[in-house]
Amino acid sequence: MSDMPYPDALRVDAFDKVRGVQRYAADNARPGLAHAVLATATIARGTVRRIDAAAARAVPGVRLVLTHEELNGLKPPGFLMGGGYGFQSIQPITSPHIAYRGQPIALVVADNLEAAAEGARLIRADYAAEPHQVTLDAPEADIVAQADSPLPKPMFADVKAGEADAAYAAAAIRIEADFRHPPQHQNPIEMLSTVAEWRDGHLTVHEGTQNAEAIRHGLARQLGIEPERITVLSPSAGGGFGQKNSLQAHTVLAAEAARRLERPVKLVVTRAQIFHDSSFRPASRHRIRLGADTAGRMVALIHETDSQTSRHDLFPTQYTELSARLYGIAGFRGRERLVRTDVQTPGYMRAPYEHPAAFAVECCVDELAYRLGRDPVALRLANDTTADPITGQPYSSRYLAECLRRGAARFGWDRRSMEPGSMRAEDGSLMGWGVAIGAYKAATAAAIARLRLSADGAVTFSVGVHEMGQGIRTAIFAVLVRRLGVEPGRITLEIGSTGTTPQHLTAGSWGTATAIPAAEEVCDALLRALETLPSRLSLAERLRAAGRPYLEVEVSRRAPGQPEAVMGRLTSGLPAAMGPAYPGYVSFSHVAHFVEVRVEPSTRRIRVPRVVSVADCGRVISPRTAASQLRGGVIWGIGAALREVSEVDVRYGGFLNADLAEYVLPVHADIGTIDVEFVDAPDPRLNAAGVKGLGEVSMVGVAPAIANAVHHATGRRLRALPIRVEDLL
Amino acid sequence: MDDKPDGRNDNPASVGRRDLMIGATLATAPFAKAATAQVTATQEGMTGRTEVSLTVNGEAKRLSLDPRASLLDTLREELALTGAKKGCDHGQCGACTVHLDGRRIASCLTLAVQADGCAVTTIEGVSPEDGSLHPMQQAFIDHDALQCGYCTPGQIMAAIACVREGHVGNADEIREYMSGNLCRCGAYAGILAAIQDAASKMRAG
Ligand code: FES
Ligand code: FES
Repeated sequence: MSDMPYPDALRVDAFDKVRGVQRYAADNARPGLAHAVLATATIARGTVRRIDAAAARAVPGVRLVLTHEELNGLKPPGFLMGGGYGFQSIQPITSPHIAYRGQPIALVVADNLEAAAEGARLIRADYAAEPHQVTLDAPEADIVAQADSPLPKPMFADVKAGEADAAYAAAAIRIEADFRHPPQHQNPIEMLSTVAEWRDGHLTVHEGTQNAEAIRHGLARQLGIEPERITVLSPSAGGGFGQKNSLQAHTVLAAEAARRLERPVKLVVTRAQIFHDSSFRPASRHRIRLGADTAGRMVALIHETDSQTSRHDLFPTQYTELSARLYGIAGFRGRERLVRTDVQTPGYMRAPYEHPAAFAVECCVDELAYRLGRDPVALRLANDTTADPITGQPYSSRYLAECLRRGAARFGWDRRSMEPGSMRAEDGSLMGWGVAIGAYKAATAAAIARLRLSADGAVTFSVGVHEMGQGIRTAIFAVLVRRLGVEPGRITLEIGSTGTTPQHLTAGSWGTATAIPAAEEVCDALLRALETLPSRLSLAERLRAAGRPYLEVEVSRRAPGQPEAVMGRLTSGLPAAMGPAYPGYVSFSHVAHFVEVRVEPSTRRIRVPRVVSVADCGRVISPRTAASQLRGGVIWGIGAALREVSEVDVRYGGFLNADLAEYVLPVHADIGTIDVEFVDAPDPRLNAAGVKGLGEVSMVGVAPAIANAVHHATGRRLRALPIRVEDLL
Repeated sequence: MDDKPDGRNDNPASVGRRDLMIGATLATAPFAKAATAQVTATQEGMTGRTEVSLTVNGEAKRLSLDPRASLLDTLREELALTGAKKGCDHGQCGACTVHLDGRRIASCLTLAVQADGCAVTTIEGVSPEDGSLHPMQQAFIDHDALQCGYCTPGQIMAAIACVREGHVGNADEIREYMSGNLCRCGAYAGILAAIQDAASKMRAG
């Protein structure tokens, strides 16, 4: 059924969202709810010698204060990338050890929020501080070569193809450059929020998440109870962007407080605390060496990275998995190193590796185009490929050239003059046009899907996927409506909450390619089951004629080539996804971005009035929400290129600009026209629905397209993000 | 400098901005009625309650509140009007935007006592009684001006005010006057289109 495009349809939850009735975790308000506030460490590394909670306990309305003296029985969650469930391996407030500035040291719970906040402010600690370091400029002893680390191989082995070093040495044209990417924070507008409640020994957790099953199993591990005694509800998250991909550090604290108080507890982590209490995009630096022949054929690419991790965990990186795949370059060598710093463990933030990697590579490709005097689009088209340079296998689908051609036409690229500084806008500002490409692995997760048709015609569908704004509910509706002919008003989706089907992590752009094929298969299973019943006009009438109150079917689905054993991981809340390499082929989504920048001649202020982006994400199931997601990804790229940086002060550790005024996100006034288009060609090899992924690829390549446009406007090559006015003065 | 730029434990790395912001708001807030609100000391000492009268979405409410309670927390926790969202609690994101006597404000930066005697309109109060939608709500649906929806109630309240203020002359003016409302999902294009669409309908209606 991948042969027909899907029609434009409204976002199914928009009606609730515009009326303010869509419920997010913190919207749980009722009498008897206690409010909790965290107090956090003011040193960057060391030990709590003494903690004084007396003043906090004396605040009228304060009911409970928890410090490490009370909580040393809680177990750690385990690290998401090491067989556990937490964004990091350590659990704050269970020991006096302080690993980073901002680490929670106490939880204060009170009858109302104001009293809890006052109590938290009154917590005082004496510390024994130890030396810390928070930048990539670390001593050798803190730098770990990923290939020699205990991280699992081959997943985190160095990526290699051909003889990159020899090919580079022999190349007629060689480009070598260093790039720097700052730490950044995801900052979904919904703050980390949990309402925890115990009833008859059963714990219910309301929390916006991308991974309800990990919260459930992780809490079970931490609290020492059976997962069956925990329910996690996340019908709608207020954005995720990778931050909400695992068990957060605060969740068990809310649960434990609720258990002790025998009262539901709401814990909303403040915006300032979120900068330290959850993951972030690590700082990274990239050395690129790109070799080409005089005809413009790229022959060698060497990509070496250093990326920030914490002292207590190795957050692995896969920058080169992407850089190796942007073009058909025969000689590739990657080398990734991790730098231990005294911070909370960094993690995934939209296009975690792909955005910084594409920034580095695509800026160099633009430089190559200028060295060759070759049009940047033509150069990219000439280096396209149909086979994966690393495995030698074909791509299941690759419409990158189509993205470039359509984008160039839409943008009017042929009106570009090559010379930097040669184009002016009507208002006299310098105009620059830049292009870059992006790709992102088309991963797939294992899933169980369940579908129930009731005799009254109602349909209930459940699969492991979370709605966090990407539009997955709308996409699932589209499939159910098309397959079953059911009215949208008769559909109930049970997603994001445990207790139905396993709620696997929704991340890595695998949500659609996981949920949609499973939805199609379970619809087919239902239709087959109905074939045995008397033939009638409607599906529900068939049920009624057979005297059946309902019919329920279930399918289990694995990614191509995934072993049976992966279902055990799925049901225990562990990551169970694979890709991009499947047996016989490799799958990626692709995108091309065309950007216009204007640089005001005196202030050098950079504006982005116009972007054209064309994406190849396989079949588009929900055209309207997909277009919004692609535009959103472009805005993320604009933010990453021109605005966002989490500032670090080496003296104090932590992040300095820990609020939304000083961590500058793109606002309305920063955003001009963003014109998007989809190739909308199905990838039937990856799955029968023909879908790949979109959320992450939409951001990949935007930043280098902007940097390349800035070069075109000004002649300046800027290789550290974010690019600022002062870089152009 | 010693090792503690800020001895407080709630915000380890930035210096007391919350205090500064609240101070600034109190100093400039036009709602001088705060001074007349009755603060009743009770046996609870510092958490003495304050009587506050509000008209919320047309309904008169008399509340006994912690005098430190923000209007946002009061709406959400006391009145269970959870449409207004908390995205920062510092006046920096706009998710908590409501109308106070017809003007848009950040309800997280407004103490409930400052609103004593005022009329508050929240997202729950903008649609007509008959169950239909406000033209701005409908336009947000029509133009897919949202993704996760978390900023949406604030965006809609700001957008309605933006139209009423007359700041919808052109796209750039709308963008400027909507820039206090962040959307991390990046629904800005849809929001702009929705405001342009709804502005004409609001004028006609
Ligand atoms: S919550 Fe009020 S402006 Fe952010
Ligand atoms: S819709 Fe998610 S923040 Fe605006």
